[in-house]
Formats: sequence, C-alpha cells, structure tokens
Amino acid sequence: MIKFKLNGRDVSVDVPEDTPLLWALRDDLDQTGTKFGCGVGQCGACTVHVGGRATRSCITPISSVEGAEITTIEGLHPEGEHPVQVAWRDIQVPQCGYCQSGQIMQAVSLLKDYPDPTDEEIDGVMGGSLCRCMTYVRIRKAIKKAAAAMREEKSNG
Amino acid sequence: MGKLERIAARQDRAAGRGPTRRGVLLTGLGSAFMFGFARDASAAQTYPQNASLPGNGAFEPTVWCSIAPDGVVNVNIIRAEMGQHIGTALARIIADEMEADWDKVRITYVDTDPKWGLMVTGGSWSVWMTWDVFRQAGAAARTVLVEEGAKLLGTSPANCIARSGRVIAGNRSVSFGDIVSHARPTRSFSPDEMAKLPLKPHSERRLIGKEVKALDIPSKTDGTAIYGIDAKLEGMVYARPKLPPTRYGSKVVSVDDTEAKKIKGYIRYIVLEDPSETVPGWVAVLASTYPAAIRATDALKVTWTPGKTANVSEKDIIEHGRKQIAEKTGGSCVFNDDGVDEAFSSAKHVFERTYTCASVLHYQLEPMNALARLQDGKWEIHCGNQWQSLFLPVIAKALQVKETDVVMRSYLLGGGFGRRLNGDYAVPAALISKAIDGKPVKLILTRSDDMQFDSFRSPSIQTVRVAMDDQKALKGWQHHASAGWPTGVMAAAFMEKGADGKPYDQFAIAGADHWYDVGPMRVRALDNDLADATFRPGWLRSVSSGWTPWAHEAFLDELAHELGHEPVEFRLSLLTAKGRNAGTAPDSVGGAARQANVLKRLVEKCGYGKTQLPKDTAIGIATTFGQERAMPTWTAGAVQVHVDRKTGAVTCQKIWLVLDAGTIVDPDGAMAQTEGGALWGLSMALFENTEIENGNVRDRNLNTYTPLRITDIPEMDIEFVASTEKPMGLGEPGVTTIGAAIANGVFNAVGVRLRHQPIRPADVLKGLSEKKSA
Amino acid sequence: MIKRLLAGAVGVGALGGLGFLYYAWYPQIAPIERPAASSFSAEQIDRGRIVAAEGYCAECHTRTDNGTGPELAGDYKMETPFGAIYSSNITPDPELGIGKWSEEALRRSLHYGVSRKGEHLIPAFPYDHFTKMTDQDISDLYAFLMTRPAVHMSRRPNELPFPLSLRIGQAAWKLMFFTPGVYKPDPSHDALWNRGAYLAEGNAHCGACHTPRNLMGAEKKGSMYDGAVVDAWIAPPLNDKNPTPTTWTEDELYQYLRFGVAPLHGPAGGPMSPIPHRFLSQVPEYDVHAIAHYYAEVDHAAERQGHDKAALARAMEQSKIDLVGPNTLDPDARLYQGACGACHYNAAPMPVLGRPDLALNNALWLDEPTNLYQVMLHGLTAEEGQSGVAMPSFYNALSDADMARIAAYLRRTRTTLPPWTDLEKKAAEIRKTVKTPPVNSSH
Ligand code: FES
Ligand code: FES
Repeated sequence: MIKFKLNGRDVSVDVPEDTPLLWALRDDLDQTGTKFGCGVGQCGACTVHVGGRATRSCITPISSVEGAEITTIEGLHPEGEHPVQVAWRDIQVPQCGYCQSGQIMQAVSLLKDYPDPTDEEIDGVMGGSLCRCMTYVRIRKAIKKAAAAMREEKSNG
Repeated sequence: MGKLERIAARQDRAAGRGPTRRGVLLTGLGSAFMFGFARDASAAQTYPQNASLPGNGAFEPTVWCSIAPDGVVNVNIIRAEMGQHIGTALARIIADEMEADWDKVRITYVDTDPKWGLMVTGGSWSVWMTWDVFRQAGAAARTVLVEEGAKLLGTSPANCIARSGRVIAGNRSVSFGDIVSHARPTRSFSPDEMAKLPLKPHSERRLIGKEVKALDIPSKTDGTAIYGIDAKLEGMVYARPKLPPTRYGSKVVSVDDTEAKKIKGYIRYIVLEDPSETVPGWVAVLASTYPAAIRATDALKVTWTPGKTANVSEKDIIEHGRKQIAEKTGGSCVFNDDGVDEAFSSAKHVFERTYTCASVLHYQLEPMNALARLQDGKWEIHCGNQWQSLFLPVIAKALQVKETDVVMRSYLLGGGFGRRLNGDYAVPAALISKAIDGKPVKLILTRSDDMQFDSFRSPSIQTVRVAMDDQKALKGWQHHASAGWPTGVMAAAFMEKGADGKPYDQFAIAGADHWYDVGPMRVRALDNDLADATFRPGWLRSVSSGWTPWAHEAFLDELAHELGHEPVEFRLSLLTAKGRNAGTAPDSVGGAARQANVLKRLVEKCGYGKTQLPKDTAIGIATTFGQERAMPTWTAGAVQVHVDRKTGAVTCQKIWLVLDAGTIVDPDGAMAQTEGGALWGLSMALFENTEIENGNVRDRNLNTYTPLRITDIPEMDIEFVASTEKPMGLGEPGVTTIGAAIANGVFNAVGVRLRHQPIRPADVLKGLSEKKSA
Repeated sequence: MIKRLLAGAVGVGALGGLGFLYYAWYPQIAPIERPAASSFSAEQIDRGRIVAAEGYCAECHTRTDNGTGPELAGDYKMETPFGAIYSSNITPDPELGIGKWSEEALRRSLHYGVSRKGEHLIPAFPYDHFTKMTDQDISDLYAFLMTRPAVHMSRRPNELPFPLSLRIGQAAWKLMFFTPGVYKPDPSHDALWNRGAYLAEGNAHCGACHTPRNLMGAEKKGSMYDGAVVDAWIAPPLNDKNPTPTTWTEDELYQYLRFGVAPLHGPAGGPMSPIPHRFLSQVPEYDVHAIAHYYAEVDHAAERQGHDKAALARAMEQSKIDLVGPNTLDPDARLYQGACGACHYNAAPMPVLGRPDLALNNALWLDEPTNLYQVMLHGLTAEEGQSGVAMPSFYNALSDADMARIAAYLRRTRTTLPPWTDLEKKAAEIRKTVKTPPVNSSH
C-alpha cells in the first residue's frame, strides 16, 4: 500500500512497487488527464508535479513517490483557472490536446523557476515536451502571456 | 463543488446514473472526490462541457441539428475531432445560416449510425464536404423558425428576419426556444427540398470568418477531455499485443507463457484468428492492469514462421520503384495527353531528375488503442477513428457478424494525421473481446508496438523529365511516381480511374497533376507492390501532396537554373491559367491564376531576390495547390535556410506562407492548422524519417526517432488571401511546399542540390565535397 | 552506509604461532541481565540517539532485502565476492541481540572489534573508526541501544566458505592494519574542526567508503579520501582530488550533509542518500557544521574557491548547449533534450535548486560513468536527494546504447575531461548490479 498526497488529498493505492505512477494515476485513481505518450520519458505527455517539480510519471515508480505531494492537471486549480490554463485558452493553444496536460504542467513549473522567461529559457525547459500537432508557436506565446498575468497578480496582491 | 465534480455529476445525470467512484482508495474522506471520467457507453461527447443538458421536445428539422425549447441549438458532428476544432468550424456554418445565437450552440460528436452517411475525416475535406449540406441544414431550420415565429408574432414570414437566436418583426420578437416550446414545429426536409432553399449571400455572414473560441479547447486545458485511451468500462481487462515479425504472413508456431505466468495480474494469452486478415499472426496478452500486460507481453515467448518480407529493406523498395519507373508499361496515368510521346521522341533536349523520400511515421501522440465489448447483442468499439465507414465493415467481418451489430463510439483523437483513417487497431480489440465472451477489453499499444504497427508513409521514388526543342522551350512533361498505395490496400473501391481507365491511388500521386503549362503531360502512378506486401502503407498528413511537390518543385528550380531562368519568373511564366488550368466552378474558380497570385504575394513578402543575406544563407521557394486538383488550396511557401559548411547542418530560420483557400470559416483554426502543417513539412524535411530494415521500421521510440521540437521552430509568417470563394481544406496544405523550398534554399545557399528527403547533414557534406572536387 | 565488504579482510589466512594466538585471544565478557530502561536518564538516551545517528547504525543493522526488517535487528545482507554476510541484531534481545551485553562489552566491540564472547568481528564493522569514540559517547550509545524494543530475530548465517569463515583470520588482519585508540584532539585546530575530525574519522566513519582499500581490504593510509568504489557506486574523493568544477565549500558540504542536496553539486543518491536524510538531518546542526568545516579543510576549499565564479559561469554556458537556440541535428543531443533537458536545463547566473546542473555534477567529472549510470537506472525517490521530489528511473526507457550515447554526449559537452571509454559495456555492467528493474515501463 503506497500512500501519498494527490491534489491535496491523502490517497493510497495497492499496486506493485514498480508500477509507473502514470498508470496508478490513470487507472487506479481515475485521473486520466495525465497522458501516455512515449512511455520512455521523452515526450512529456505524462508530466505531473512531484513536490512541485515537473516529473515524467511514465517512468517514475510509484514506490518512489511514497509520502510525496503530487499534483496532476486536474488538481492544478479547482476551477481550471490557473493563469497558465487561462492563457492556454486565450491563445487557443491546444489542437488535438493530447500533449497539453503535460505542456501545461511543464509550463507551470517553468514559470516557478523562470517567472519572466526568454525564448531560450522556454525552449530549454519545454524542449522535452513533444507536441505532434506542432502547437509550439502558441505554447511560447501563452507562456509569456501567463507569465505576465502571474507577475501582475503578484504585484497586485 | 469543483469543476471536475460538476462535470462528472453532469455526465452521470446525462447517463441516468449516480456518481461513479472507481477503484479509488481514499484515506480520511469518503465523499465524492474523484470520478471515472470515461464516458458512459450511452452518452455521446458534447461540447462545451458545461453546456446545459438537452431539453425534451427538441425540434429537429434535419438530422444535423436540433433546437431545444430552452433555445439550445445542438449540432451533430460526424467528423473526428483531432485538433482541427472541426466541430466548432462546422457548427459555425449551420449557426450562421440559421442565425442562431452562438452562445447557445453546442456540438455533439456522434457515434456511428447509417443515417449519417459517409463518416470520414481526412484529406482536409471536412469543411469542403460539409459546407453545402450544413448551409442548407441551417437554412431549413431558419425557414421553419421564421414561419412559425411569424405565426406567433401574428404577421407573415416576409415581415420577419432571424437574428441571433430570435425571429424579429419590427420591434417585436420571439426567441427560437420559445418558438420550439410554443409552436412545437415538426416539419422536416428531404435532401431535395433542402437543396432548393435560398442561402444567405456572403455579405450577410455573421459567424463564418469571424474569430471564435473553439468549443473543445477548454476541456483540453483541465484534463477533462476524454480520448479513446481514457475510455473505461466496468470490469474491463487490459491487453497488449505481441507483434509478429512481419506485417503479413507470419504464423504462430508456439507460445510459451511460463515466464508470463509469474507476472502478477497476467490472465492469459490469445492467438488471434482474424477472418478479416487485418492482424495476421497476432498474439494478445491479457492482464488485470496495463503495467501487468506490458510486462507479461515482454515475458511471453512466441515463435513464428515469418512472412516472405522478413528481409526487405527500404533500399529494396526504392530499387523496385526505380525499376517500375524504367518500365514503359504498368501503373495508371492521371494525365496522358496526346502528343506527349511525340514531344519526347522529337525532343532536342531532355532534362530528367529522380527524387526520393524516406518512410515517415505518424507518431500521433496517443498510441493506438481501442476498447471493445458485446453489450445487449451489439458489439461496441470505443475509440477515436477517422474513417468509421470504412472500418466498421472490417470489424464486422472479423467478428463474423452483421454490420448493424457493430457500433463505433466516438472519442477525441490524440492526433490523427491520417493514422486513424486506418482502423486496423480496432479489429484486434474486437477479436480479443470475442475470445472472452464479449467482456470489455481495452487494447493499448505501447509506443514501440505503435511504431512497429504503424501504417506509415511509404518511401517513394519519382522521376520527372521534360522534352525541349532546340530553343529549349518546354514541349512535354512526364512525372512517374512509385510508392505504396494506401487506398489501394485499404479502400480499393475509393480509387480513381486514370486516363487509361485503370484505377490508381489518388493519394499516391495527387500533387503531380500540377497547374503549370508545360505542353502535353504524362503523370503516371505506380503501385509499389513490394511496399504494399512489406507493410501497410498509410495516409499521412497531406499524403502524396507532402512528397510530389518535393519532386516537381525541386525539378522546376533545377530546370530553371539549367536554362538560365530565374526560378520564380520561370514558374510564373508557366502559370498561364489556360486550357485545363483555367479552373472550374465552384472549386477551382480562377485556376492557375490564383496560384500565380499567391506566388507573387509571397515573393513580395519574403524579400526573395532583394534582401542581402549572410553567407551560406538563402531563401528557397516552392508553390503548389494543397491537397488535390479537385479542391485546390493555392499555396506558396518560402524558407530562409542557413547551411553550416562544417557540420552539414541545415537550419531553417524562417517560413513564409501565402495561401488562398477560398472563404476562411474559422480564421484562428485555419492559422493553427497551417502553422502545424508547415512545421510538419519542416520536420519531415530535416528532422524525422525512418527506414525499413528486415521488413520492419527501424525506429521504435523517441530515442532514435527525432521529430521537430519547440527549439526547432523558425519564425513564421502566414497569410491567407481574402476570398469569398468556396472554402477548401487547410489541414494539410501547410505541409506541401516546405520540403522543396528547403532543397531549393540549400541550393541557393551553397550550390548543393539534394534529391533525397529528409535532408541529412551527411548528404550536405557529401554534396559540398563533390562540388569542391568537381 | 557501509556495505563494502573488505574482500581481503576475511582472507588473511594462516598466520601461526602461539604469540599470535595469545594476541588473538580475548576472553568472554560475562553476560548480564538486560538493564532496566529506568537505569538510563532521558538525556542520556537522547544523546545516545544522536550517537547512533552519527554512526548510521540502523543503516547496516536493518534488513532491506526480502522486505524491510525491524530497525537495528540486523540481517542486513552485504554481498562479497566470496559470499554474502549478514549483520547482527543489535536490539537488546537477550538471545539473538545484545541484551546480555554490558556497557564494557559494547565498548570493547567498538574499540577493538571483538564480540562479547571474545570472537573477532569482521571489519565490515568499521571498528577501525569506532575505536576513536569516547567512552562517554559509547556509554550514551549503550543507553540508547538498550532502551530500544528487543526484537527476537536471528540473522541468516554468513555464506563465507572455509577457511574465510574462521574468525581467527580477523585477528591477523588487525595485527597488520588496525591501530586502536580514542581520538586525540589536535591543539593546532579549533573546537569546531576537532569536533568535525572526531566525528568524521570516528563514529561517522566516512573513510570506510571514501578511502580506497588495499588487497586486504584495509583503508590505504596514503590515499586517505581519494574516493573508492562501493556497491557499484563511486564514493567520490573528499580531498582536493575531487574533480567537480566548483569547490566543495563548507556551505556546500553542509547543505549536502544536512539536506541531501548541494546547490552547486547536486543531490545525494545511492548509498549516500540515507546519510543526510535518515541520519544527519536528525542530529544537532553544530555537528553537521563541524563535519562540513573539517572536510572543507581536507579538500582545501579556501585555496581553490577562487576559480568557482568562472567555473560556474562556464557551467551555465555549457548547461544549455543544444537545448536552446538554432536547431541541432545531432541525434545524441536530441536524445538528451528529450530525456533529460526539461529537468536539467539551467540559465545563468545560478542553477535553480531542483534543477541539478550536470555541468557541475560530480557524476560527470569522475573517472568512470558509474554514478551517472546508477542514477539514470534508479532515479531518485522522493526520500532521496532533494526531499519530496523524484527523478524517474530510466531503467526501461534507455537501452545500454542510449545510456552510452547520453554519457558520451554529456562528458563531451559539459566537462573539459577526456572521453569515457567502453561506455555501452559499462552500462550493461552497472545494469546487471540492479537486481529488480525499479519501474515497469514500456519501451
Ligand atoms: S509518456 Fe512519459 S514522457 Fe512520454
Ligand atoms: S496538441 Fe496534439 S500533440 Fe500537442
């Protein structure tokens, strides 16, 4: 029985220790917003936050997140109104949308490290997140828009 | 209640069930925290997700839409949603014609039913195919609403107009919802009646062409969007295939599951018997969880006798094609104009070049999957699919049941790009379920399975030659192309007939039938049967238009240089818009003149021939007509490339595109599709490709398959020509010019001509050193 | 954590002579009744807890294979080239633990490597360090151990073949390599330094892993802290042979030992991970500072620090190679970008905590790719490295060839050192040391 915090709630799952976090989330905890893309840590579709840092859940064994705090796209904001999500909708980033949970989770953690990211910093961090629909131009735009909104929010309160 | 809970509760209400709570172990709380978001077998996908539920007593003037007493307009979408926001674009057409209030419009992605007619999403056809039908459907609804509204307002229809969901007479008005609830209209229209209804003129369009927020997007930003892979049913088990060594002809000799039995959760294996011959030689592994299925499949030992193609390589296929092209007979001619043979036999000069393209994998981000079960005597297949009309019968054949006993439930597609035009992955899911008495089973391919089983873009070889007189004027043109034929293999009945009456795969030649005036033409499509036998060739974004312009546009550049012409001027001189290139209504009004127009506009924009660029940096240009000759999206593309002479690396710094696709229904969606298409073109030209080795694709995941990523994107400048002509497709034309433009750009930068796609640093280096020694 | 068995240590064979036998002979110390818990003060027990933590007793005296065993009850398996050996139960169980041990028996075992019954202990038990412990510390430790719950659990028998199983051999080893004696403060240094040296050389037994051993398994006096291989990991040099581009300063050492991650060097992984997380985070800050202070001198941080600024700037430049800017067609760079870049990219001026910068990381600068491979294969759990965050396991995600490509690429682009050799073969070797794949992922 492995216990951790998922989107602010205590959960426990009874699965083998080597189960990838991804499948525990999707199949045992019904958080299907996190996607399976490559299964080898190289596309970013399965990105969630572990301890606030973007982590590829497809190759993270469930045993290694014992006691950790995990956030998935479903838990990023109770109403789906995280500034990054808002910017994503304004700029209409998603096409098929399959990569976008991962992109958003990765972008949120990018903005924690680099609150006012340059194109270089965006590329550096987002380069691991594949978008097969090639929404990259809009991802860059939306990240900058979200960054501006988050700075604004900060300075206002 | 949080948003997720609300959505879940709504879905549950819609499906007439209580909240579902699956398999979740919660510590410290017992209330509804998480739900299974998989859509219930009976509830179709509807957007936006927070729309109100359909009211009772809705009015359905046609099968395409209904108006509920509360004024909600539902539009039924039979196309697959895979990123084009197609539901939004199509609903705009109906809503505009109907004069509906956009805020009350919602869209439903429907399951298969014979009443929908052909269900296919591909070829950038959706808007083009639906345009007339949906305008007529909207007009039908408007006609009835105005008639009934007039009665309620005590006036005649002639005194009424419809606007924004209301019927208005002077300063009095009544809403569509009230009309439906009070007048309870029932009139419906036959297709013939619909076709006779008056349609609004372009000047009266209020939604088409205006900015809109796509209805499917919000759910794609908060994790609530449901794709095929998210489908879940009570009691379902998981399956993964153990794939045979060859796509066809492998026979299972023995299976040993001693090791697999040691995996906790392993249930059993099944050697699939497939009457439809879609998945010969497959062994499926069943387990209670997907990770268990992954590991048990790895542990399962299967021996096969492989099929005949076990040793085929990419080179074999290309060489086979080369031979086919060298033969005078064979294949089918799209154009075979009188006088072409004579032009060549009497030619003073013949200029000929051969171009090749490597295999390209789809790598749609959602790996292939399907969920199948038998429920109340009907086989349900849950998956995202682009061509239900084609594959439902195949599934029925595999199951040996009637087509009416199969229903395909629609889900979002985590990328299509043509992969899911081929529904082969649905067949094994159905067969596995059948083997376990119709119990629900979810088949998921791991990425390496997915890539091995891909229906990828066939490698191709093309030869283009022109005949010239002693003045070096063009007198005749031949274009021969050999590749695997996806349509031939999967949908032979859909093939077109050539000038010689023989069927050919239009998706393995379209684009070669260009709009240039070059004298009598022969355009010959050759079916590379070795490719067809080795793998299942697939339709891949822009299909042949992704590679035929690679040949003719690079060729025209080479020819121009050979003849001492400026390549753009040379092209313009050939775009005369005469004869068959004059165009026909309604689809290609204006013909080649519109192509010349986008090319001129492009040249203006990109500064080609004017701007002074740094060393080893240059602009390359190409132009074509998007998807098909019958539905041309006039396209011109330019790229600025830099060549690193030391490493041979080609960097694409900027892309310019000018397109004329007629009326643009959804400008932002059109832009998104074109951006994506252009980057696909770039990815295939520089970054991704595979090769067939031992009868299979070489690459199995991102460790060696390297599609374009965010770091690789150039600056982009895309423009649509303003037009009120019939809308053409935009899903694919962005792809078409990029490869050839890059090849032409590389030539302009360093004088090296490359004729194989993708362009690899090694080829550039080789070209540079050959040039030096020459 | 000391899992290294001293291959030679069990192997000193036949040394004869009565004199030796005399030397080798220790009497049994009389058994006692387990002292009542009330005979120890709460303060003493708590001091003992700290001593136990600073000596990492629980690490080697708690079973980890075959399910985690009760704390301190022994049966921890250590692999040796000759066979496995198992640690003893040090809970106060009278029969199977140390319940019958007097304080003197404990002291003798720590100071001389002899059990209560007079048997020589295998020097996998690092009494060559514990001999430096003060009587006071041992007395406190005794109080702590005797007040733990007694666990009636026996260890599995050692799998050493004859004659290595003869305890007498251990005595010969002692004769050659062991100098008993409590730590003597060095008056030329201040109290903090002396505290650090006392802990590091004694109870914390750092040299047991970080000093190379001779063929007999004894620490090489002339190569103190030069680094060594432990459990298929490299315990890096703790002296100025440490190759990382920025200096292990007192503060870096402190962060590392206290919190498991040094901002300019990276997280503690593998066998080192429990040292901060399980132990040094539980002891007085002063002691951790002392150890850090001591090693900052051992590695001559003060003299070397001058280069750090330039090294850091260079690392920040290297760190982003191929992750930003004009597209690269180098397949290895693209593999790195897909698999590693999202977490390891850093922009100037400083690496972000939580983005371990590989251009600064020990693993890339060591003579072998061992630690890089280990971390790639295992990843890091939320309990290891930086607390609460995890690194995935690439065990199934990267083949040996892929790992070799990444290792070669990083060595080439992130360091200034000569390339590693035989990378694919070494990847296979390290992979073999991982008994069960950490994660069941697809490929
Ligand atoms: S699915 Fe995890 S990174 Fe691709
Ligand atoms: S939106 Fe389709 S993969 Fe990114």
